[in-house]
Amino acid sequence: MTERFRPGSRVRTSRVDPPHHTRLPRYARGAEGTIVVSQGLHPLPDDRSRGLPSEPLPVYTVRFSARDLFDEGGHAVTVDIWEPHLVPVAEEE
Amino acid sequence: MSRVNDVGGMQGFGAVEQESDEPPFHSDWEAHVFAMNRALIGNGVYNLDEFRNAIEGMAPQHYLESSYYEKWLHAISTLLVEKGVVSAGELSAGDGHHHD
Repeated sequence: MTERFRPGSRVRTSRVDPPHHTRLPRYARGAEGTIVVSQGLHPLPDDRSRGLPSEPLPVYTVRFSARDLFDEGGHAVTVDIWEPHLVPVAEEE
Repeated sequence: MSRVNDVGGMQGFGAVEQESDEPPFHSDWEAHVFAMNRALIGNGVYNLDEFRNAIEGMAPQHYLESSYYEKWLHAISTLLVEKGVVSAGELSAGDGHHHD
């Protein structure tokens, strides 16, 4: 499994509210953040919680601005997120 | 799935209570619940994600009224019945011994 993102990559989280367990919290959905570091490969809880086969997939620590998540606050919020819940954000010129 | 557990960023629960010199467990039964969960996951009866899913699947009112380890006990009980390790009848026959 090749990691799709590198530290510094800009990503956006999924907005989907799946009909099963997931580790992407509601407050961090549909948000743009920055990859901090890879946390290695881990089976996807969305699948594993349902007894489905789950190949290890990349997990990243993603940093968000509190302002982007909550419209206030000067701090950063970091969340460990599985790669299937992330899409790349095109760098603006 | 956004269930009752998914309250990050939500207001209205009051401040987080911080105990100085907080003990690992506030009652002996909590330590038993902790040990039981480690043993059941360690022996492959269920996995950590199934455990989390079982907690999140609690009825919202029950979830909000339950303490941390009461949620654990609920999840363990639910999963043991689901996996066929114990029957619901066996669980209810022993009920009343673990809440005090």
